[in-house]
Amino acid sequence: MKSIRIENSKWGLINNLVVLIISMIGYVRYDYDVGSSSFYQSALIETFAPIQRGTTSLKESVVKIVDHYFLIVNTSKENVKLKSKIEGLQNDLFVMSEVQKENERLKRLLEFGKEIPKKKVLAKIVAWDSSSEFRVLRINKGSNDNIKKKDPVITINGVVGYIYRVTPNYSDILTILDQNNRADAIVARTRSHGIVEGVSKDKCILKYVARTEQVELGDEVITAGLGTIYPKGLKIGRITKIDKENFGITQAIEITPSVNFNKLEEVVVFTQADKVAGKDEI
Amino acid sequence: MRYNLKDVALSTLKSALLLVILEVIGSAFFPAIGLTNFRPAFSVLIVLYVAFKINTPLLPFVILVIQNVHSIFSIEGWAISTLIGVLVAIAVKYFKDLLDFSTAVSTIVVVQISQIIWFVLLALFLSIKLSDFSNFLTILWQFIPESIALSLVSPWFFSLLDKMWVSKSQNSRI
Repeated sequence: MKSIRIENSKWGLINNLVVLIISMIGYVRYDYDVGSSSFYQSALIETFAPIQRGTTSLKESVVKIVDHYFLIVNTSKENVKLKSKIEGLQNDLFVMSEVQKENERLKRLLEFGKEIPKKKVLAKIVAWDSSSEFRVLRINKGSNDNIKKKDPVITINGVVGYIYRVTPNYSDILTILDQNNRADAIVARTRSHGIVEGVSKDKCILKYVARTEQVELGDEVITAGLGTIYPKGLKIGRITKIDKENFGITQAIEITPSVNFNKLEEVVVFTQADKVAGKDEI
Repeated sequence: MRYNLKDVALSTLKSALLLVILEVIGSAFFPAIGLTNFRPAFSVLIVLYVAFKINTPLLPFVILVIQNVHSIFSIEGWAISTLIGVLVAIAVKYFKDLLDFSTAVSTIVVVQISQIIWFVLLALFLSIKLSDFSNFLTILWQFIPESIALSLVSPWFFSLLDKMWVSKSQNSRI
C-alpha cells in the first residue's frame, strides 16, 4: 500500500493553528465546577475505570494474603502440633474480622445522616485523579444508582466533596481539597460565615470571615446549608491556623479537614432522589 | 525523524496504550499503596518526547490524542494541556538545534526545564480560568516533586518511546 507523505511546513502551520483554535475553544468552554463528559469519554471511562478498580482490589487482596501469611507463620511458631487446626481457625477468624470491620464501617456510614431526607448510596473509592493539581476521587457508583452531578458526598467524619462527573457505573468526586470546590460554611461556635476552598494536599482555607469575628484555633467548621449542594450542619474540619493582619477587612483561616483523605475507602453519596421507605442502596 | 501517516497513527496508538497503563498506575496503584499525593504527569513526558524528537506536521494531532487519553483519568480535561502542549512544541521547534539528548544528564536537564515551562503555563492558564492568582505559586510548587521524578526516569522512558516511534520504513532504510 502506498503511504502518504505528509511532511510539509505549510501543513504543520495549518495543523498547529487548527488544534490551537480547537483547544482554545475547549479551554474557554471547560467548566471546573461541574464536569460534563461526552459519549465517547463516558465510554472510555467505563472501559478503563474497571482496570483502576481491579488495581485497587488487587492491592487489597495482596495485603490480605501478606497479612494472612504472617499470621500463619506466627501461629505455627506458637503451636506446631495444632498447626493445621489453628491455620483453619485463624483463617476464618481473619476473614470474619475483616468482614465485621467492613460491616461496622458501612453500618456507621449508613446510620450517619439519618435525619437528612435523602437517599444514600454507599460507594467505594477506586482511583484518584491522575493530575496532582486536582483533588478528585473516582467511585464505583454512577447514574445507574441515581447519582447525579452536584450530589454531596460524605463520610462519618464529614464532608468529602460533591459529584463532578457521572458515567453509568462510575462517578468523579471533586473533593473539598480541590481549589475548584467552594462550600458555604460557618464556624460552629461563633456562627461566623465564610467560604471554604481547597488549597493544598491536606488543607482548606476559610475565606471572607470578617476580622472582627473572634474565631479561635480548634473551632469546628460546618456546612452552612446556603448553597444548593451540601445540607446544613455537616462537619468540614477544624481551624488550625489564623492569620490576622493589621490591615484588610477579613482574616486568613486555614482548616484541616475532618476527613482523612489518605485513608478513605468508602463514602456515602446523598442522591437527589427522595428517600423511599427508609431504603438506602449499598 | 520523519514519518508518514501510517507510522504516526500506529506509534500514537502504541503511546496512547502505554499512557493508559501509566495513568492506571498513577491514579489507582500509587494511591492504593499509600502514595496518594504522588501522581506524576506521564502524559507531559510523552508530549515532550514527541515535541523533541518527532518531525511530522501531524504533531498537534498526536498531542491532541495523547491529552484526550489523559482526560479519561483526570478532570484537567484535554483542552488546557493540548493548548500548552502545542505551544511548547512550537517553542521547541525553534530551539531544537540547541537541545542535546546524547547523554542521560543532558536529557534530564532538558526535560526538567521543559516541565517547569509547562507547569508555569499550566498554573497560569488554571489561574486565569479560576480568576484567582492567589494559588499560582502553590499550584506550581506542588508539581516540583513529581517533575523531578519524571525527569530522572526520562532517559529510560525516552529510549522506550524511541522503540515505539521507530517506523518500519526507517528500519528498512537502515
